[in-house]
Amino acid sequence: MTAESVAVDLEVLRYRPGEGSRLENFSVQVAKGTKVLDALDAIWATLDHSLMFRRACHHSSCGACAMRINGRERLACVTQVAEAAEEHQPIRVEPLHNLPVVGDLVVDVAGFFARMTASDLVITRSAEPELPVSVDPLPASLSLRQVVVPEDLDRFIRFESCIECGICVSVCPSMAADDGFLGPAALAGIHRTREATGDATESAHLLALADGDGGVWRCHSSFECTASCPQAVDPAGRIMSLRGQILARRWGRMWGR
Amino acid sequence: MSAPHVVVIGAGSTGSATAHDLALRGLRVTVVERGEVASGTSGRNHCLLHSGGRYCVTDQDSARECIAEARILDRIMPDILERNGGLFVALNESDLAFKDRFMEGCEACGISAREIPIQTALKMEPFLNPAALAAVEVPDGVFEPFHFCLAFLATAKANGAVVRTYTEVMELVTEGRTVTGVGVRDHRSGVSSTIGADMVVNAAGPWAGKIAAMAALAVPITPTPGVMVTMDSRLNNMVLNRLNRPSDGDIIVPQRATSIIGTTSWVVEDPDLIPIPVEHVAQMLASGRELVPAVGQVRVRATVAVARPLVTRAQADSRDVSRTFECFDHSADGLEGLVTISGGKTTSSRAMAQRAADVVCAKLAITAPCTTQTTPLASYRSFYQ
Repeated sequence: MTAESVAVDLEVLRYRPGEGSRLENFSVQVAKGTKVLDALDAIWATLDHSLMFRRACHHSSCGACAMRINGRERLACVTQVAEAAEEHQPIRVEPLHNLPVVGDLVVDVAGFFARMTASDLVITRSAEPELPVSVDPLPASLSLRQVVVPEDLDRFIRFESCIECGICVSVCPSMAADDGFLGPAALAGIHRTREATGDATESAHLLALADGDGGVWRCHSSFECTASCPQAVDPAGRIMSLRGQILARRWGRMWGR
Repeated sequence: MSAPHVVVIGAGSTGSATAHDLALRGLRVTVVERGEVASGTSGRNHCLLHSGGRYCVTDQDSARECIAEARILDRIMPDILERNGGLFVALNESDLAFKDRFMEGCEACGISAREIPIQTALKMEPFLNPAALAAVEVPDGVFEPFHFCLAFLATAKANGAVVRTYTEVMELVTEGRTVTGVGVRDHRSGVSSTIGADMVVNAAGPWAGKIAAMAALAVPITPTPGVMVTMDSRLNNMVLNRLNRPSDGDIIVPQRATSIIGTTSWVVEDPDLIPIPVEHVAQMLASGRELVPAVGQVRVRATVAVARPLVTRAQADSRDVSRTFECFDHSADGLEGLVTISGGKTTSSRAMAQRAADVVCAKLAITAPCTTQTTPLASYRSFYQ
């Protein structure tokens, strides 16, 4: 038995290089409780194999399906069709901003990934990331969080919270004005790497990068990145913290410490 | 004379690993994939890096393959694995009665397994059912499926392979009884063209039958979906398995900020769009609660169904089909130039690639040996450069 099916209307921004962009409307039947990514899958499977969109895990772990849904950056795989349809009819789906569009909803993440590489962020760490990663509040009566790694069991490792989806880059007003900016994800990556690494040389190199031309001083402190991060990485908070670390080092030098 | 050219169909885990293997052996390789990398079965898998424990009683060939491959992957892609181990947990008398066979099976397959006191298990896993009767630790792990494929392809590209995503195979081009290339439609440009090949590898997973059918061939691959329910919180550090024969809803794999309960098994005709049976979701939640009662108190983040490409030699219950893989050289069907590699699991995709590349190289008189066991992979991030 499958769930009751409902009709859903979407308008998708179609684009091909040299052809410009246009909105195209689609109607598909999807099961109740379905996510926007499932609706795109249904369009692709039943109506149009030429629809280009990125997708892999379908459960908000890979970061591939970040896009703008009704003008707001979200992961399509965990955005309810019913919720999106209530916001806007038809549901409007567009590619991320501030990254070159390859076709339809697919953006070129090469530059974004190069910045992540520069941040030295590796995706597995021997310690638990400190921030809660569940975006939606859990039932208050239980206050369940992620399972806590017992202190004496330091062999457990974890993937980092950042899924490199590009949402923070798309919402960032500084990024829009300035493509030399490292951007929120990479700066958060630098902060996280410095937090986790024991290597003083790497740490100093990363702080210099954060203090450099494309670094933290270009951020206009809009905090849009933190507000829209699906993984609660808090890039803006980390950028502010990096500024503090840079200033502390300068003052330390000034006073000969 | 330039090296022979091989076209690999599919950029899932099998196709990605095959492209990497062939590129390392010096062949010219083009991968064609109709969507994004890992947009089919590979992206949506359970993320379980098998120790082999799951199959050590019922399917020992598969279990041996798993432990060998898990060790290799630990060497070549350490950055995209969480090697936190797994627990097989007994919750009732039937599970307890299975324990001795499980320990023997692990021993026979070379999987290190040790029973640990329940109190220790509960300390490592605070949300584990406190009524558990026994716990056995094995070297299970977790991988990042999208990055898994990207890392193989990034390395293949560094060795000269060309990867064409959003490029769909529309036909197999044949001359007489030999496949000489593929007809593709590039969805980026809308242009259809032919890519010539000395050999074509069909690594389309559960869609392999559709590709083979383009040459009027049948391959015994059955698209066999499973349902996975992803919870909105991470409830376990290690992989938690029910200590018994593999069955529905007997495993919870933690991944990033989630715990994924799986899985079920049924057969479909068309793997493109799989309706999720609601009773399967309810069943996953019910059996998930048995292992980890807190499952009942956390919201569901996503439900996913995706088809495994099982190789079926005879009619059997899909749970009883071996999870190992097979390589079909279609010259046995009277058609040269085409090899299909299917079955298996993501954990075994490197070994699958080795088998496929061995067959391809033998046919093309290439003598370079496989070196993927010892070649560290490039960063997944470099794929898009």
